[in-house]
Amino acid sequence: MMRWILIALMLVVTNAFAVEEIWQFDNPAQQQLFNQLKEELRCPKCQNQNIADSNAVVAKDLQRKLYQLIKQGKDREQILQYMKERYGDFVHYQPPVTPLTWVLWVLPVLAIVLGAIFVLRRRTTQTTELDVSEAKRLLGEE
Amino acid sequence: MKSRLILVLPLLIFFGISIFLFSGLFSDPTYKNQVQVSRDIPEFALADLMQPQVIYDQSVFSGEVTLLNVWGVWCVTCDVELPFLSQLREQGVRIVGLYLPESVDADFGTKPLAQLQREVTAKLQRLGNPYQFNILDADRQYSIDLGVTGAPETYLVDKKGVIRMHLIGDINPQNWQTQIAPLYQELLAE
Repeated sequence: MMRWILIALMLVVTNAFAVEEIWQFDNPAQQQLFNQLKEELRCPKCQNQNIADSNAVVAKDLQRKLYQLIKQGKDREQILQYMKERYGDFVHYQPPVTPLTWVLWVLPVLAIVLGAIFVLRRRTTQTTELDVSEAKRLLGEE
Repeated sequence: MKSRLILVLPLLIFFGISIFLFSGLFSDPTYKNQVQVSRDIPEFALADLMQPQVIYDQSVFSGEVTLLNVWGVWCVTCDVELPFLSQLREQGVRIVGLYLPESVDADFGTKPLAQLQREVTAKLQRLGNPYQFNILDADRQYSIDLGVTGAPETYLVDKKGVIRMHLIGDINPQNWQTQIAPLYQELLAE
């Protein structure tokens, strides 16, 4: 009896694995593009999830669409354009530089530059102070 | 003077960040897809949900102001919306349904059409039928062209077949009064 239950359970488990979707591609480049874009495309229904991670219906549909587009031989730019045409810039995790978003690029650079200036200035003032004390010490010794 | 400024600076930055984050508490995090607005309704050739031999195309939108309402029997918010939409139909608003079937998973297959029709008929009898007719988007391909993210969603389409509003979420008396009705009236007059 126990054995039969065990076998029945095993059957259930293999079934569950069969549900997992398997995408077949013509070449490794297509596979790579698929893996890359499903991470980069954002699920429009979810709070901050890409279409690979989300189980929302629209995310599944967009993944299927992505697969179809790749199988049709569309390249990265064509696919991104297709998606943005329908779902807006929101759908891609890499926002384009527009008057609204330029701050995103400028701010980190500005922070690095200002930080570097700050550090450099501190270092130079410190070294001059050290030089003076060093000089005094040397003078005192003399 | 300069040293005092440096002392005050962190406080100012702190207040700046606080105000920014505080205003974020009240911002609307939902996605607003506006790319479809003022675009021609995408081309299609899709069957009627109840009479599969009838095929519709984008010409169903010409000459009349229409609400294209995306829905499904599986969608809970749509249940809430159906009675109000039915009221709108009684007031003379033309509403066309775009029916989204829930699953097109190849492993399980789609629901038989007859079963789907029974479920839809039962639901519309129970909650009211706002639709002139329902277009069946069997593989949800047309929904991707429309930028549909889920259900319910509604497109306000003008007499020339141009999308004038894309609403994500339900239509209720509040947003009908404040958001949709003014534009709807305007489009009727066009």
